[in-house]
Amino acid sequence: MNVRKIVTIVEEIHEEGGRQVTPAARVAIVAAVIENPWAGQGFVEDLAPGIDANASDLGKLLAPAVLEALGEPAEAYGKAAIVGLDGEVEHGSALIHTLKFGDHFRSAANGTTLLPAVEKRGPAGIVFDIPLKHITDATIRSHHQTIEVRVADAPHPGEIVVALAAAAQGRPQQRLAALSTEQ
Amino acid sequence: MFCGMQEARTDRAARDVGLRKLVVYRETVVTEGGSTPAVPAQQASVAAVIRNPWVGTDPTTDLAAETRRIAPVLATLVTDRLLDVLGGVEAIEAFGKGAIVGTAGEIEHGGALIHTPFFGNLMREFLDGESIICFADARAEAGDPLMVPLWHKTAAATRSHYQTVSTRVSDAPRADEIVVVAAASTGPRPHPRIGDRRTDPLVTSSNVEVVLS
Repeated sequence: MNVRKIVTIVEEIHEEGGRQVTPAARVAIVAAVIENPWAGQGFVEDLAPGIDANASDLGKLLAPAVLEALGEPAEAYGKAAIVGLDGEVEHGSALIHTLKFGDHFRSAANGTTLLPAVEKRGPAGIVFDIPLKHITDATIRSHHQTIEVRVADAPHPGEIVVALAAAAQGRPQQRLAALSTEQ
Repeated sequence: MFCGMQEARTDRAARDVGLRKLVVYRETVVTEGGSTPAVPAQQASVAAVIRNPWVGTDPTTDLAAETRRIAPVLATLVTDRLLDVLGGVEAIEAFGKGAIVGTAGEIEHGGALIHTPFFGNLMREFLDGESIICFADARAEAGDPLMVPLWHKTAAATRSHYQTVSTRVSDAPRADEIVVVAAASTGPRPHPRIGDRRTDPLVTSSNVEVVLS
């Protein structure tokens, strides 16, 4: 795995809808900008060797880093793979849509649910949204949220940005009735 | 990137200056151009989104009172976070600052918050610097990126430390808000190799052939 840079972002919301948010609502993201393992190889039918060589290492790198940046237990989480223009979206999906990758985060965060994800292809500086859902019950509405990310000079055409996001709480002024109230 | 005391301090600051949001951004270069930098560095920026206290006032308005009230709180808040994410005052070698004013404000409003001693002197003191702090400012829509320049905190002409960090807050500034940014780096560009004032040849229009031809 060839890493070019690691980006860490923490957002705190102190006021929303004109009201104070106390304690501040926190969301953290850690993104690794890596060389696309399949860059320059044409159409690679079998992605498994590349997945085996990278996915677990990426999960191991990002999971503790995003929880450390958050500084609190995660209640919601999500992930992203943004593929540079010369790659396939499938390459990004390969890196993040295996248990080899996701289990590192689930285990570190004491989560049980699948990680919601964004996969897309774009130029350096592309803005992408990472969806987050509750770590043990994806039907908990208060925790459905999205965080926006941009790395100014990534991904290059032959790179992939792989990111994890963690939130310490649900939306800042969440007040929707639970799903169960409609069932 | 977080501790309890800091949280209490931030909550107070939030109330005092109308803080809506704080965004901390850090980049660690692992490789550049395929190789590891001889002096690996981290860059960081801290962006604080506050209400513009002067929205609705005209250009004759004296900005001094609100500047004295707000700028020191902001300087403390954003430098605290910079020190925290970059590993302390000893680690920081270069610094810069910025302001993005929402469309209902004047650039002068951003300048008031970052260009007076109530911000600049405090930032310099907290980061143990001596240089003038370089800056960028803009009036812009929410989500527009701002490139914040950095230079060496005690020797501004140190060319290896000329660098920029891109800052962006997805939903700020609103028209009636200002984003105030402090940024810093723990070292030079990844592979600095363009000399310095001490090694430069004397270049004038009379000895540079390309200028004459």
